[in-house]
Amino acid sequence: MDRYLLTTQSLMKEYDDLIAVDNLNLEIKEGEVFGFLGPNGAGKTSAIKMMVGLLTPTSGQVLFNGKEIGSAEKGIIGVCPQELVLWESLTCDENLTFMGNMYGIPRSILREKVNTLLEALALSDKANEEVSKLSGGMKRRLNVALSLVHDPVIVFLDEPSAGLDPQSRLLLWDFIRSLRDKEGKTIVLTTHIMEEADALSDRIAIIDHGKLLLLDTPEGLKKTIGRGDIVEIQLADAMVNKRVTTLIKSLEGIEEVKELRGRVTVRALNATSKLPQIIDLIESADGRVLDISIRGNTLEDVFIYLTGRDLRE
Amino acid sequence: MKFINIASKGIKETFRDRKGFLFLMTFPILFVILFAFAFGNGFTPFFTRGSNPHEIAVINHDKGETVYLDNVIQQRDFGDSFSRLLGNATYENSSTNLFHLNNVSEDKANDMLKSRSIDALIIIPENFSGAFTSMINSSVRTEITSTVGAQAMGNIIAGQNPTPNTVAASNPLPQVGNVTAALIIKGDTGYIDFGTTQTAITELLEHYKNSVIGEATAGASVSIGMPKNPIPSDFISAEILSISGTQSFSLFDYLVPGLIVFGVLLQVSIIATSLTREIQTGTLNRLKLSKMRSFDLLLGTFISWLLITMIQVLVLIIVAIALGYKWQGGISSLWLATVIGIIAGMASISLALLIAAFVTNERQAGSLSAMIAVPMAFLAGAFMPLPKEAIGQFNGRTYQIYDILPWTHAISALRSVLTYGSGLNGDVIFEVRFLIILASILFVVGVFTFSRVRLRAER
Repeated sequence: MDRYLLTTQSLMKEYDDLIAVDNLNLEIKEGEVFGFLGPNGAGKTSAIKMMVGLLTPTSGQVLFNGKEIGSAEKGIIGVCPQELVLWESLTCDENLTFMGNMYGIPRSILREKVNTLLEALALSDKANEEVSKLSGGMKRRLNVALSLVHDPVIVFLDEPSAGLDPQSRLLLWDFIRSLRDKEGKTIVLTTHIMEEADALSDRIAIIDHGKLLLLDTPEGLKKTIGRGDIVEIQLADAMVNKRVTTLIKSLEGIEEVKELRGRVTVRALNATSKLPQIIDLIESADGRVLDISIRGNTLEDVFIYLTGRDLRE
Repeated sequence: MKFINIASKGIKETFRDRKGFLFLMTFPILFVILFAFAFGNGFTPFFTRGSNPHEIAVINHDKGETVYLDNVIQQRDFGDSFSRLLGNATYENSSTNLFHLNNVSEDKANDMLKSRSIDALIIIPENFSGAFTSMINSSVRTEITSTVGAQAMGNIIAGQNPTPNTVAASNPLPQVGNVTAALIIKGDTGYIDFGTTQTAITELLEHYKNSVIGEATAGASVSIGMPKNPIPSDFISAEILSISGTQSFSLFDYLVPGLIVFGVLLQVSIIATSLTREIQTGTLNRLKLSKMRSFDLLLGTFISWLLITMIQVLVLIIVAIALGYKWQGGISSLWLATVIGIIAGMASISLALLIAAFVTNERQAGSLSAMIAVPMAFLAGAFMPLPKEAIGQFNGRTYQIYDILPWTHAISALRSVLTYGSGLNGDVIFEVRFLIILASILFVVGVFTFSRVRLRAER
């Protein structure tokens, strides 16, 4: 049976006229990577701050192992914030050692932990380099390491791979997987890279305007929302986009048609079989296809569908 | 001991931020230089003086002495000889004289010392030559006995009669007296030129003793590959006679205590900015999630900045002295002033905590700190005497409105110690006690406010 490590119950955060987090109910399982997605300003950071005890909720509560988070033992949580939160004039080693000392880790254990983290995140060569002299990617990796030096039970990784090159990102993904698979850590991951959320998360919650919109596995989300394939058509004359959109809507089996960024975007089950009909309709409307592409449904489509910042606008 | 880790981190950060540290140290120093230039008496920093002769006066009370030298009985006046040496000594690889001898009476020389017309007054005691004679006889006797001993040993090894008569015959053993003398080097130990002058004279005396002994023992030895005996050093010594309060004080001398406190107040800006950076960059949130307590953070911050305050106060004092600052009471006054400066620094750190509790970014921290610290320096009387604005009487003392500022008491205490050479007397103890009480109150308020606003979960 699944054991829930961290739960939020009717969590609310209000600032004057703004409701940042609105009645948020989440249950995070022990040992899972929990994707926590939402557009900018959706209330993710406020929710995370309340979950880790840095922000007092207006109402509701956060429970860790059934106990109020405020009374939980310090050190059970690790937080890798979205921003680079490092002591720039200290070296990588000094940053990690200092943070370990702040958690009261015994010296011998801390030394080993620091070395392990530096090696795992490919920073061993830079152990004695001042942070101010590191590249952006190295700083980002050190930012992650700092959240793990005290061996927390649950780790919040807030956009850990922002600004990383593909190599560093793959290294980080492997590292996150190993945290879950080898060390049994529970990870709450927020990211704007849908590919990352899809690749790493066991379950994903999508929030917007402070509210939970949907919570499921990545596959479940893709099945539930935005079923089918996406066809994107660029016409020679954008003036006919509207007429074409209306015509395609009338076809059977079409889930959704929108005009987006000068293109006609169609979502349909088995879209390939619908292509000849779609092209006939375009030609009947005196349109000429410049470019056409077809792809499977992605988590990004689900995200955009739910948060309404792309397909719906 | 997390506070030690925090203090250590703070020190590393401060020293590694070279520009910030340079600003911290140089800004108050610039003020000291400007004030020395504007209000000093004939602004002549020591480093601009070059290799000029040190002005000294030599009062020679030496009576002379008969001495056995070069196998001949001679009348020698070592005081005269040493005086001539002082007059003729030059800087290394230079024709510039090391000293300029002022031919004046002892009374006149004392007056000149007080007005700093001379850097030091050298008094050669009446038994100076007597002590030299004893030293020479002791050296010669030691040299002969060791040489005779060495010859006897040589004879024994060669299977001959061990009695060495050649050396003994040509070098009769001199009698060693027990006369000792102290060359007095008189001056203001708080005056940097006295320091350099007395060092040069002491070295010259040692050099002179070496050359006299070398000359005396040259004829008494037989070269058999034995090392020379060490030169006895008990017979003639140099003694420093300290006087204080030379020359009248300039406005600069009056202002230096205020400048020290001004420097300590300027730290408010740096400390508040540094604490705000910790908030702004999010590192404080990292620390809040750890097992660190408010006490660790604040005590650690406090310790690191106290150390930096100590360095700043010392640097300020050294720069002021280099620029001709005259203070009373010698080195002990300087140490006492440093301690007072550090306690004033405690008040500055507390004020910085208070400011950092309310500002939202580094720019605000810097601006607000300057807005508070600079007027505070004026209000505390750092630059000018303050008008009387009594707020009440207690225990026979009248208290002024600005007495509520800890820095007012720091400046009063520093002036008493440095300008008037008071030492740790009743007035100074009163001011320091007041300073400690006010700084402690400010510290408690600062710690409480910062902890409440910054170290709890946001609302």
